Amino acid sequence: MGIFDRPDDKKDKKPDFSNVKSDSSSTAPSPGMPAPAAASRTYVVKKGDNLSKIAKEIYGDANGWRRIFEANRDQIKDPDLIQPGQNLKIPSA
Amino acid sequence: MFHRSHRLVAALFVLALPLLVGACSKSKDATMQSQENQAMQSSEVKVTSVDLGKSVGADNRVVDKTETFQPNDVIYATILTDGSATNTVLKTVWMFQDGQVVSQSERVIAPNGAAATEFHIEKADGFPAGKYKVVVSLNGSPVQTKEFEVKAT
Repeated sequence: MGIFDRPDDKKDKKPDFSNVKSDSSSTAPSPGMPAPAAASRTYVVKKGDNLSKIAKEIYGDANGWRRIFEANRDQIKDPDLIQPGQNLKIPSA
Repeated sequence: MFHRSHRLVAALFVLALPLLVGACSKSKDATMQSQENQAMQSSEVKVTSVDLGKSVGADNRVVDKTETFQPNDVIYATILTDGSATNTVLKTVWMFQDGQVVSQSERVIAPNGAAATEFHIEKADGFPAGKYKVVVSLNGSPVQTKEFEVKAT
């Protein structure tokens, strides 16, 4: 290479991505989000009830049984065992 | 005498039959409840689709799916999931054709049924033309890769 030859400094130059901005959002809530201030309700368990049935009745979605279970951990040890007469807290949808 | 005792046994059995049936049905409801809730508990989260586009609607889904972008576009990836879990980690790693990581980010969600999560990237001075890909991971495991291209106008 002669003294007037200059190396092609663009030859191996990689694109710079250091100024890329990113963000995200979801229709699903984040874990541990505090419950909204809306009034919560309670539900008195009747004979023949189970958490899935209660969730289906209240939320229209049986999968919501887990939210009811989490909100009543202080009185429900086993989600399969609820007793008639139990007063369950129902988180708002 | 043999016939009399035989009849007696048969009569006792007939009288005892209703009691036996009643005892079995009582535990039925509890068993069915247990099985139903057991099915609900195993509803793990799965990625059902990943779509790319230039914008998303209020439902977080891309409006017009595309895999070709211009340098100044905001590039969206919508990840649709199904299932329920209290702690699900979604991660996207965006890469350029030369192996550079363009961007990476993750989001922890607690879905209860179908959900749409969008990730997007933008670059003030425009993305260089070329081929890219985004790798989507669920709880640390790659589940889908989508390739796209940026073309200069």
